[in-house]
Amino acid sequence: MPWIKKEKAEKLKEIFPSINIQFYKDNVFIEVSKSILKDFLKFLRDSEDFSFEMFIDMTCVDYPLHRPRFQGVYILYSPVYKERIGIKVWAEDDTLPTVTDLWKGAKWAEREAYDMFGIKFEGHKNLVRMFMWESYPYFPLRKDFPKEGIKDTYLPSLNEPEGSIPSHDYDPYHTAIPTLQDLEETQKARMPEKKAQIVLNWGPLHPGTHGTIWFLFDLEGEVIKNCDIILGQLHRGIEKLSEDITYTQVIPYTDRMDYISAICSNVAYVNAVEKLLGVEVPEKAKWIRTMLCELQRINSHLLWLGTFALDLGALTIFLYTFREREKIMDIIEGIAGIRLNSTYMRIGGVRMDLPEGALDVIRHFIKDFPSRIKEYEDILTKNRVWLRRNVGLGIIKEEDVYQYGITGVVARGSGVPYDIRMLDPTDAYDKVDFEVPLGTVGDCYDRYLVRMEEMRQSLGIVKQCVEKLEELKEDKYLATENPYVLPTLEETFNSIEAMVKDFNLRIYGEQAPEGEIYSSGENPRGELGFYIVSKGEGRPYRLRIRSGAFYNLQIFPELIKGRTVADAVVLLGSLDPVVGETDR
Amino acid sequence: MELLAVTIGIVIKSLIFIIGMFLLAAYLTLVERKFAGHVQQRPGPLHVGFHGLLQPIADALKVLTKEDIVPNFVDKKLFYLASLMAFVPAIMILAVIPFGEPIKLFGLEIKPYISDVNVALILALAFGSISIYGVIFAGWASNSKYPMIGGLRKAAVLIGYEVALGFALVGPIMLAGSFSLREIVEAQQGFFGAFIWYQPLAFVVYLFSVLAETGRTPFDVQEAEAELVAGYNTEYSGMKFGLFPLAEWYIATFVLSALAVILFFGGWNGPHIFGALSPYIWFLTKLFLVFMFLLWVHWTLPRYRVDQITEIAWKVMLPLTFLNIFITAGIVILKG
Repeated sequence: MPWIKKEKAEKLKEIFPSINIQFYKDNVFIEVSKSILKDFLKFLRDSEDFSFEMFIDMTCVDYPLHRPRFQGVYILYSPVYKERIGIKVWAEDDTLPTVTDLWKGAKWAEREAYDMFGIKFEGHKNLVRMFMWESYPYFPLRKDFPKEGIKDTYLPSLNEPEGSIPSHDYDPYHTAIPTLQDLEETQKARMPEKKAQIVLNWGPLHPGTHGTIWFLFDLEGEVIKNCDIILGQLHRGIEKLSEDITYTQVIPYTDRMDYISAICSNVAYVNAVEKLLGVEVPEKAKWIRTMLCELQRINSHLLWLGTFALDLGALTIFLYTFREREKIMDIIEGIAGIRLNSTYMRIGGVRMDLPEGALDVIRHFIKDFPSRIKEYEDILTKNRVWLRRNVGLGIIKEEDVYQYGITGVVARGSGVPYDIRMLDPTDAYDKVDFEVPLGTVGDCYDRYLVRMEEMRQSLGIVKQCVEKLEELKEDKYLATENPYVLPTLEETFNSIEAMVKDFNLRIYGEQAPEGEIYSSGENPRGELGFYIVSKGEGRPYRLRIRSGAFYNLQIFPELIKGRTVADAVVLLGSLDPVVGETDR
Repeated sequence: MELLAVTIGIVIKSLIFIIGMFLLAAYLTLVERKFAGHVQQRPGPLHVGFHGLLQPIADALKVLTKEDIVPNFVDKKLFYLASLMAFVPAIMILAVIPFGEPIKLFGLEIKPYISDVNVALILALAFGSISIYGVIFAGWASNSKYPMIGGLRKAAVLIGYEVALGFALVGPIMLAGSFSLREIVEAQQGFFGAFIWYQPLAFVVYLFSVLAETGRTPFDVQEAEAELVAGYNTEYSGMKFGLFPLAEWYIATFVLSALAVILFFGGWNGPHIFGALSPYIWFLTKLFLVFMFLLWVHWTLPRYRVDQITEIAWKVMLPLTFLNIFITAGIVILKG
């Protein structure tokens, strides 16, 4: 995505003389003081020359030695001029003004910042924990919080009597765990008063929630009067963990975020790091990445279609889609060696060359798949029951898309042409032909149609990639000449220089230049952005993951009010969150 | 003495029917699983016995030997009663369903039905209605939120479709001029004598009602697993749990399919090409075709929302049945 132009950014300085504009690569970050933050953001949003209407992300960075300690970072997007801008602000007194009155989508992001850093947001309506439970005493993403946690909870071994000498090396002190009381408190904090008859705990473990999301439904009969979502059951602190490991070691963690589209997450992350390091990727690797991304997108949409139909009671579609999904899984396994969390991408290319015959298998799949899509559409698209359940449900308007920072298929279903593949083509996306399908109404049915069409488009991209890769058979797949790129196994074993380089990179990491970068990729679930702050070390100083599903899910409580539990299933299915990504 | 003989005869016949129905229901599960498997392009049960022929027995053993958990917070009496209330009425309908004409065997006249009462159809409807209580009791006695919602959903659906079902049956009754199922079958002679030709509207309404009554897709809202975990039987386990699907999905579907054959497809009438057995073969063939049709619908369609289902019942099905009654009545009067 093009960032705001230098000249245009300079113009801002005439209106707000106190701001400080920073350029790094193509990223533009504007540092403002806390006192003018609100006015500045409001100006950016409302002024016609800039119109940064869409909220992309809000996060924080902890600098323990700096006063004030925390820095807030906002990233906005202008749908009119199709450009991005970053705003940085120091949180004096560990507080920041809330921007929830400008963008509703900031609600969860600010709660997350409070949860992880302990920054108070003045004016936020319900500033409670996002992932951790209420009454959890620490703020995990602060630099002074140890990675292994603080062991302050006494949990004696259950099978050894108290006072006896432990038979094995057992430490009775553990990191804090939530008790039942804590969970009750959390539930109360999220939904302070009961409006209707019963509060239904829908989740955390429920077949309809697609993972471990905990919904609270305040029900009047079967009509939902009030709703809230408790996230965090799958929170693994990937952002914290990656602060202690090298850039390459983060790649497997990105697999485990959105495990259904692991390769897309890989590529989004690897692209961000390559941008930071200035690594140029070989042509062939670019095409392989694009091809695998699109295969993964089809794979992810197939899984979505299957589970969505399953939620609606159509069991058979589920097995039909898994039949095709299995074929893609086999292709990915053949290429990457692993089915689900493949970790196939490397900084500077891909891990291995394409195996012999891979392209033939993919070509066969391309030939076979269109008839399968037709089969799904025959069963569902014009089906009356399907229409009755989907049409008119969960209508997301264009303003909502901007307000909540909704991206991906959900945004495109509402007619907003927000597709990173088009706006900021990475890899080979600028060399392939494809269309971005758009919805008109923005209901569940439109999102269904958009996903079905997207599968066809992806297939077209895969086809073009296969043709191109046929020509590039003998090319390099990893830019090993670059000092930041790990050598291949063969090189490591055959040359001493490569071995030294391998050793250095594995132990000390890629010594990235100082700077910060925000880069994103189009995940099947929305924009997956990585905001990396580098301090010139071999590991990221701060790695923020902007999850598409997290922001898309945020609109759910708003849309479901006044509908029934049966609609909640459909709506949740059409928003398609993956909890691994929302919780990270 | 004669009374004793009749009683013994009926007891033996009832036992045969009940045991037969149990075995049949067990094997209907296999039929359904095989059918669903092939619809979904997978083989279905394959390893227990030849092509899964012993699978139902293995399943039955499994369900019977499972730990039967009764949660502390349930209303125990109703909780136990509910599974019986769901199961017994479903199997009671069998008492009035004739499977063919009486035959002579070893000088004894054997009637392939338990009783031929003159209000058989009304009895069948009444037994069917009782099974609603099983569902409501299960939902209420579980003292838990999901079963409660599931039970209420099912009750709402059943009440709507019981009414439509009742009125749908008026058409065939008027044509036959009797409530006795045997006489209804006897009224449908020949290929074009079957009531399906004269009562297509009633048949459509009847099919919808069967799908709703037996809780099959597109009307399986009471146990929509994505919404309500398992609906009204969430808290049940062991055989108490097993009785619900057995009663609903298999026995009720089977019995209602049998009624459909009797009311619309001429029962056991058909060309006598299989000799003495031909009425039974015709009856069972027709029955299984109807049963398979229901399975086909079940494994193809998505499900409606509960308010949409009741809407269809009251706003579409009920007026349709009224229309049907008026048309049928007009024809009957004109024909004299």
